[in-house]
Amino acid sequence: MRIRRTWVNNALSISALLLSSSTAYAASCCGGGNATSLVLPKFGNQMIDVSFDMEDYKGYWNQEGDYTKDPAGSDLNQYRLNLGYAHRVADNWQASVTLPYVWNDNTYPGVVSKENGVGDMSASFWYETFDQVTCVYQVNSLADLRPAIYIGGTLTLPTGKSAYGDDATSSFDITGRGLYRFDANLLIEKTVYPFTVTLQGSYGKYLERDVNQEYGTAVAPYKKNLGDRTFVSASLGYTYFLEELDTLTFTAALADLREGEGEIDGVSDPLTEFEKQSVALTTAYASSDLRWVFKGTFSHALRQDGRGENFPTTDILTLGVSYAFY
Amino acid sequence: MRFIKSLCIALTLVAMTISTTGCLEDLKSESKDLRTDTSVGGDDSAPAVDFIELSTESETIQLSSELMNNDAVVLYYTMWCPICDSHMSHLRSNVVDHYRNVRYLVVDYVSGSVAQSRNSQVSNGYASFTVLSDSDQSLIEQFNATMGTTVVIDDQNKILMNEDYKNGARLIEVLETLQ
Repeated sequence: MRIRRTWVNNALSISALLLSSSTAYAASCCGGGNATSLVLPKFGNQMIDVSFDMEDYKGYWNQEGDYTKDPAGSDLNQYRLNLGYAHRVADNWQASVTLPYVWNDNTYPGVVSKENGVGDMSASFWYETFDQVTCVYQVNSLADLRPAIYIGGTLTLPTGKSAYGDDATSSFDITGRGLYRFDANLLIEKTVYPFTVTLQGSYGKYLERDVNQEYGTAVAPYKKNLGDRTFVSASLGYTYFLEELDTLTFTAALADLREGEGEIDGVSDPLTEFEKQSVALTTAYASSDLRWVFKGTFSHALRQDGRGENFPTTDILTLGVSYAFY
Repeated sequence: MRFIKSLCIALTLVAMTISTTGCLEDLKSESKDLRTDTSVGGDDSAPAVDFIELSTESETIQLSSELMNNDAVVLYYTMWCPICDSHMSHLRSNVVDHYRNVRYLVVDYVSGSVAQSRNSQVSNGYASFTVLSDSDQSLIEQFNATMGTTVVIDDQNKILMNEDYKNGARLIEVLETLQ
């Protein structure tokens, strides 16, 4: 099989692109490390964030939620280099952009495939409902319990290779989903040192698109949409203060991701509906001035029956660094 | 520090330029019908070339023989993934029993051998399907197929459909024309 006829698993790419933004970037209103989206610390004016994901595929849940292993001898992996940049545009407003570059490296008993390309880019804006950092060392009054609440939106642009564009000639070339999506985001975070609790949620809607080709082959034109997407996660962190006031933070998170039924020409398409539950552990080292944060996250999909539906189960190791300007 | 800032902005701009110039097709979708290829089905489609493949139960399956005894042959290309599973589950529940005089053949193009294909077939719960082990990828080449591709060939060797399964509606629509 020639290279262009080998492939990047459609489902694999979908998984990667959905999850990459969840844990790859770490910041908090106080600086330091947590497992949240790309959020500029309260004191920061700009931030760059670079991270590298290594995602290993370990079977999938079928539509009934039963876990099924990948075929013997298969080794499916996706790697992503994520470039992120955040900029404070006003006292309580910030904007950010992220762009992944994706490498697919898949081995089945009968096929070896390696492909790469730009993934789907996303642009976000956030409004901070608070004027001062909310991290405290002691709770002396009710006011000290006030959390940091962020309200935001994210637009995902289909800059990756999808099944519907010119660039992918088979399912193994895919690095993006091919549809625009807008997510409304809510992030609630409270730190009472040494503990930090974070709740994060998003609700996304895709924009319907026209399709007139699949994998470079013309097909009868139709309209496609994907189902609404919901993502929720809860995390608990513990911070150790090191010498010179550097910090080391450990965070455990539980996440649930799902999408509803899509549509083909306005008719329900339940075959794209899915669910995935996962846990993640993050370790973050922050410099005392909170400019530098080095992070490592391991995200593990819960492989038990019923912990997901119609979706791959993957482990993701993320290594990253961010630098805040202020 | 100024260098890092400038580098960051430059990298972002370069990445945005690369992405937006290389993927305009997805950023701006079109509804124009581009079909000119005769292998994708329809009135002008070319006849399917006969093929012989080994099934996972070591049967020799020949297209022309199957078309002598059935109204049509449906090929579904799988790589034993969640999407393939949802397609095949939908096919089993909503199509197979309604169009009984159609031969359904699953094409496994990833397992590399008849034995591996059989293992994948059984472990994924599709022992009752006839699975062709496309170890040399000849079938995927012949129909320009990929994961999820569904091909319908009628008893006149005419390709009625060659596209992704999606929600199965298009396949059912095509099989209805055989009635």
